[in-house]
Amino acid sequence: MSFADGESIRVRDLDKGGHVRAPRYVRGKRGEIVHLLGEFKNPEDLAYGEYERPTKPLYRVLFRQSDLWEDYEGNSDDTLVVDIYEHWLEGA
Amino acid sequence: MSGPHDLGGAKDFPGPIDKSQHEVEDWERLTDAITTALDGKGIKTTDQHRRAVESLENYGELGYYERWAAATEKLLVEKGILTKEEIDERAAEIKREWGGE
Repeated sequence: MSFADGESIRVRDLDKGGHVRAPRYVRGKRGEIVHLLGEFKNPEDLAYGEYERPTKPLYRVLFRQSDLWEDYEGNSDDTLVVDIYEHWLEGA
Repeated sequence: MSGPHDLGGAKDFPGPIDKSQHEVEDWERLTDAITTALDGKGIKTTDQHRRAVESLENYGELGYYERWAAATEKLLVEKGILTKEEIDERAAEIKREWGGE
């Protein structure tokens, strides 16, 4: 699975405890792929000393602030960019 | 489940942030130095350190470097480099030598 620039995605709401790297306020939210940042070791593995696990694609993902916060009072064009690993993303 | 580090967007918790400053104390410098040295020697990593900090049961009661010290202790015990008894014993010894509260 890989995503193209501009593709619409949703952040999966993985029921994953411990050291996770997708902040909870983006989970379940729709966003848009800005671009692929590259392949990196997964900090969610590294945090437990698992250094030999495969690398994972990391994407820069754009969200509209008004999609993230129910009562967002700022400009409706405001956006937020979060770096998110591929296993947290699904097509939307 | 989110850990205590994943607070973005949480309402009414943890409350106002205490932004007051204080002079850095010697034990804080030492904690920073030991933690950084252990990383430099490849004994632990930043990702492990973060995970250990986040998993502290009393996270909310500890200051920044108290978390670092507790996390370093946790990792050293986890890796079998020191035991909790050895650490407690040495701490008691230092307290006897240098006096305590």
